Amino acid sequence: MNKKPTSPINYRLAKSRAYQVLIIIFAMAITIPLFFIIGYIFVQGVQKINWTFLTHIPKPVGESGGGIANALVGSLIIVAVAAVIAIPIGIMCGIYLSENKRSKLAYWSRLSVDILQGVPSIVIGIVVYFWIVKPAGGFSAFSGSIALAIMMLPIVVRSTEETLKLLPDSLKEAALALGIPYHRVILSVIVPCGISGILSGVILSVARIAGETAPLLFTAFGNPYLSGDIRKPMQSLPLLIFNYATSPYDDWRDLAWGASLILLLWVLLLNIFTKVITRRWKIQL
Amino acid sequence: MTQLELELNEVKTEVGNMWALVTSQLNKAREAILHFDKDLAREVMQREKRVNAFELKIDRDCENIFALYCPVAIDLRFLLAALKINNNLERIGDIADGIARYVIDAPAPFPAPLMEATQLLRMFQDSINVMQDAKTAFETEDTVLARTIFEKDEVLDRFNLAANRQIAEVIKKDINLTTEAMYVLSIIRKLERVGDQCTNIAEEIIFYIEAKVLKHLQQKQ
Amino acid sequence: MEDTIVRAQNFNAYFGTNHVVKNVNIDLPRNNAIAVMGPSGCGKTTFLRCINRMHELIAGAHVDGKMYLHQEDIYDMHPIFVRLKIGMVFQRPNPFPNLSIYDNVIAGYKLVGMKLPKAERDQKVEESLTKAALWNEVKDSLHKKGTFLSGGQQQRLCIARAIAMEPEVMLFDEPTSALDPISTASIEELFFELKKSYTLIIVTHNMQQAARVSDRTAFFYLGELVEFDDTKQMFTNPKDLRTQNYITGRFS
Repeated sequence: MNKKPTSPINYRLAKSRAYQVLIIIFAMAITIPLFFIIGYIFVQGVQKINWTFLTHIPKPVGESGGGIANALVGSLIIVAVAAVIAIPIGIMCGIYLSENKRSKLAYWSRLSVDILQGVPSIVIGIVVYFWIVKPAGGFSAFSGSIALAIMMLPIVVRSTEETLKLLPDSLKEAALALGIPYHRVILSVIVPCGISGILSGVILSVARIAGETAPLLFTAFGNPYLSGDIRKPMQSLPLLIFNYATSPYDDWRDLAWGASLILLLWVLLLNIFTKVITRRWKIQL
Repeated sequence: MTQLELELNEVKTEVGNMWALVTSQLNKAREAILHFDKDLAREVMQREKRVNAFELKIDRDCENIFALYCPVAIDLRFLLAALKINNNLERIGDIADGIARYVIDAPAPFPAPLMEATQLLRMFQDSINVMQDAKTAFETEDTVLARTIFEKDEVLDRFNLAANRQIAEVIKKDINLTTEAMYVLSIIRKLERVGDQCTNIAEEIIFYIEAKVLKHLQQKQ
Repeated sequence: MEDTIVRAQNFNAYFGTNHVVKNVNIDLPRNNAIAVMGPSGCGKTTFLRCINRMHELIAGAHVDGKMYLHQEDIYDMHPIFVRLKIGMVFQRPNPFPNLSIYDNVIAGYKLVGMKLPKAERDQKVEESLTKAALWNEVKDSLHKKGTFLSGGQQQRLCIARAIAMEPEVMLFDEPTSALDPISTASIEELFFELKKSYTLIIVTHNMQQAARVSDRTAFFYLGELVEFDDTKQMFTNPKDLRTQNYITGRFS
């Protein structure tokens, strides 16, 4: 190449292009494994899913067939109970924090929620084991729900607080100036206007704990039979996968693959649902 | 209608009312001369107080509108014109009052030959007509009519000029008529000023409607 | 002698230790439009918000002195009752974004759970929107959300919402400063109608607006009430030199 006075420019252009390509490669490096994982699970699991799979409980070792009905029902029950516990408490806590920015209680609450978010899930499981399982004398789905609820709380509280903080003060002022009592202002004006943010926080928290295994290890423990009693141990999808995936039995491993796919679809659908809901319910401020 | 429009209409109505009052003053003064009615003349002098009160009120109302509404464009020009027309009308009121005083001071009715020679009553009627025309032009915002006032004022000016000679003739014929002739001359001068005031009024009307300033122009179309 | 509806007696307001409204004594007459004007930071908005007890909602805010509605001290009454009798319209139009226009107007009833019979509700909505000069523009789209209206319309919706509560006094905190000139003019025209039924107290930093719209004007400066007089008098010949300097623009 001739030594033209413009050659530094060419060099800089080439460098810029090289960086662009590098960034694209890294972006693909993230996306491709994701699609691989989803694809692999899909391929492995889709063959195992049929009506029997969804409605029967696992057969004892050696027998073929069987399904994950107990895990499905169990997951639904445990998550539902956890939601019923965590959501009201979380939303109210979020409302309190957004309304009282400076009180001592607010400071400590916020701190606790932040710390709780970082506590490892297995530690929560062990704590619940000592607080509830041991005194109660046995494993139970209820203790599993408690553990999951503790994990859900920070997400619900934070998203509620952040959503409500974004609402303009003028909304509250308008309602108060009409002579509406304070509690009604919160319940009838502030919460409905922030409903999309609150709802998305709720659904995200459910998606988060749907696949948690560690907290359930010492609490719900698992159950080879279909059970609806929350005072007794109960099976759930993550527990089933945990136990069956590394078992030496082909049938059980098949069940684990099917369950993985179901769990994956569940979490994916919840996330998509969140997006749809927030768009529909988003209130133009 | 906005509040400003309501207030401006009020001012317009008040100016119209003052106009009617001043015109009636002139009419009464003319009647007083015609019938040598001193009582009528005294009525005119009494009513002069009302004319002055009107002037003060309109001044104050315009001041308030300026202060409160900061009017612009045609509204501003209207108020400026209204203030000046207010002034002109008050002076015409003074003229009527002055003429009435002459009637009261005069020892005897003005003799017929004097009246005919100068066409005093005719000039009086003309000046009242000019007043009426100006009022119509103001109320109907008719600038064409306003412009005719300039010519009509010329007629009054001619009367005034002619009067000098005519009065001199009358005095030469009969020197006893000198006092009355002086009164008549003064009245004619005053009537000429009515025409001038109406010319000013017409200029203001054209200013407020067309934003054209015709003051001090030699040639007025 | 005009009927006094709101009276302040040795009234002071504070933000913590910051003395914002200093020893105000004023008698506000019924069915008048009263403008409250003054430069930024003079305490006019704070004073207004004391009248319907919105000032105390801010942390650290407190008042002393007396504020009477008719003959009752509003600081002896429950704040909710005060706000039912004294409505407020704010600087930025703030209709409830999750409610339709219809629901916005009767929000004061709906949001406290008061259920009115349908006929009464419809009538109230129509009356309030008519009084706010908005009925004709929205009567065919009452179910639409309030936030789809223009700024001026939204502000009139907020006025209708306040009217629906049948207050005796209506407070306006710079109600047109966020609006364009045409909307501003339409709301100023509205004041002439409204003052026949309510007493209006309008804080404005636009003194021409105060001049156009009000019967009486109060001039606040550095927290004090400097002058309170007929608007005509205030703008043609104010009694205090500070007032004159303000309205002639000698200081902002």
